[in-house]
Amino acid sequence: MSFSARDTKAYRDDEQSGHRKLGVQQREELVKNYLPAAPNRARSNSRNRKDTGHFGLRKFLKSQLYVFLYFFVHAVFSIYLRIRVAYRVVANQILSILKYHHNTPDYIRRDVSTLSRLPRHVSVILTLEEGGRGVDVLEKLINEVTEVAAWCASAGIPRLSIYEKTGILKKYMPQTHRALSRKLKTWFARHQGPVLSLSTRGETAIQTPSRDHFAQDQQTLEVILISEDDGREAMVDLTRVLAEMAQKGRISASDITLDVIDNELAEAVMPEPNLLISFEPYVDLQGYPPWQIRLTEIYCSPDNQGVGYQVFLRALRKYAQATFKLGK
Amino acid sequence: MLIGTLKQGPIPKHVAFEMDGNRRFAKNHQIETVEGHHLGFEALARVLEICYKCGVKVVTVYAFSIENFNRPRHEVKGLMTMAKVKLEQLVQHGELLDRYGAGIRVSGERDLIPDDVLPFVDRAIEMTKHNKDAILNICFPYTSRAEMTSAIKATVDEYAMPSRPPNPPFSQSRITQKIRSNQSKNSDLPSIREASPDDAAKSDDVDDSVSSTTALDPDSPPLPSTPSRSANFKNPETITAETINSHMYTAEFPPLDIFIRTSGVMRLSDFMLWQCHENTHIFFLDCLWPEFDLGNFVPVLLEWQWRQKKLMEKDGAARK
Repeated sequence: MSFSARDTKAYRDDEQSGHRKLGVQQREELVKNYLPAAPNRARSNSRNRKDTGHFGLRKFLKSQLYVFLYFFVHAVFSIYLRIRVAYRVVANQILSILKYHHNTPDYIRRDVSTLSRLPRHVSVILTLEEGGRGVDVLEKLINEVTEVAAWCASAGIPRLSIYEKTGILKKYMPQTHRALSRKLKTWFARHQGPVLSLSTRGETAIQTPSRDHFAQDQQTLEVILISEDDGREAMVDLTRVLAEMAQKGRISASDITLDVIDNELAEAVMPEPNLLISFEPYVDLQGYPPWQIRLTEIYCSPDNQGVGYQVFLRALRKYAQATFKLGK
Repeated sequence: MLIGTLKQGPIPKHVAFEMDGNRRFAKNHQIETVEGHHLGFEALARVLEICYKCGVKVVTVYAFSIENFNRPRHEVKGLMTMAKVKLEQLVQHGELLDRYGAGIRVSGERDLIPDDVLPFVDRAIEMTKHNKDAILNICFPYTSRAEMTSAIKATVDEYAMPSRPPNPPFSQSRITQKIRSNQSKNSDLPSIREASPDDAAKSDDVDDSVSSTTALDPDSPPLPSTPSRSANFKNPETITAETINSHMYTAEFPPLDIFIRTSGVMRLSDFMLWQCHENTHIFFLDCLWPEFDLGNFVPVLLEWQWRQKKLMEKDGAARK
């Protein structure tokens, strides 16, 4: 399987001498031992049980052994995964009891005060639960939205985008907005709360009128709702527009540059988020806008299920530690 | 042995690696940066061996980003030389590659490849063009945004070209002219009168067939206002994600199943953005790329298989 020490050394010597030491033939000799069997033989393993005789029987046994091992390994791995999940759930629970935010912005502010930097734009992936239809599921989703929004507001993050695949929230903009303002009102005292605006592609934003106009330093919270339609579909729409313009001769294809597309998508959908938090057990983007996710720090708490403050906080910590070098 | 075992389950068709951590590895071990890249190449060889033994069809690796040109010059030069040498060696072993059906593809901005490397790239691609069993897709001067931009550009180009009627070499006017001249040769005027409404009807036909597709869309302006010039274009409403996808470098490959980034950085960093947006399992591993080995890869595969099984069970339950 792995290369023998002698061959590795020979390879590295050759490397160092600027590839003059070994000729074509020698190099082929070197790798020969590691090459898989020639394809005609390789392909006819386990499936080819028809040829009887000693050789066929051995092959058959071998494949049986593999099947057995496969299930064995998977059984062990499955146990391991389940233990890991259970362990993490318990650890999470304990942590969240110890570090509960008690619905007060001050606790959260204290939690984030130690971080060296905060993202300007946080994005979260939320999922609408399958199965249970109707009001309950939607209510749960809106509840999660308001929770996350409240955390962001407390932490001082000015922009939050919420990705939900089906885009159901877009149909309930006024309701969502109402729920959000109510939540923020209960978290903050009447006058300290941030100015809220809720927007989505192709709709006018719903703004909460600023109550005291004289407060200059008042915080704002911009919530953007995005869905599957804002991902590839938005890029398709943009291409359509560009194609139409090109057909009318207003632009030529060479005018289309990265900047143009970037600007257009940032304006129409949303700018690049700094941090993406997935509350799923593993990273699956579910159709998240591809253009915007370029340098986004992705955080996903492994094996986690459901929205929780602990995950949010850990994501912020992770973000604070990350270094950006952009190819350098 | 282990691989034979793994093979019993589902196997990903397309795996992408972001080979990160070569320089950090070099720094930790106090060796030269370029040396780190060489070790990274060895790791790549190891990984490729495992992948193809398992039956992975396509492996995509992020070899060099457009942004990487901003790195120190000697490092860029070292990397380019390495690419050149490796490709040159590969070309020499053409026969071996054929035997295993291994193909090389290079995705990226061709214009940015230095002139001394380009011929080798071309030769390697040319030589292995017909091999489709095990493809190594090297992303070399690549960023995903540049890829998406060029795909959009290509799509726009495609739609901005006036599409000809189905039988381009034959011109209707020429035919009618010929008929007319024939007729005028054969007899005198009378039949010309008959011919001209005919040919008017024909040209109407052309317009109708194309503009009727636009007329089906409720949004598009009513028939009279569409100028006959635009009738020659393909309708932009027919652009779909598939159209754009067909202009991506990865168009011919199966969808991306696993995305692996080493060195603990949790970003995609402009790699395979379009491709991994859905149903791709993204793994961020803590090890540095030169350390990446079977021991790191097998758990990933196992976990993927496990999730795949779970998903299938879920699907099965949903169908019942």
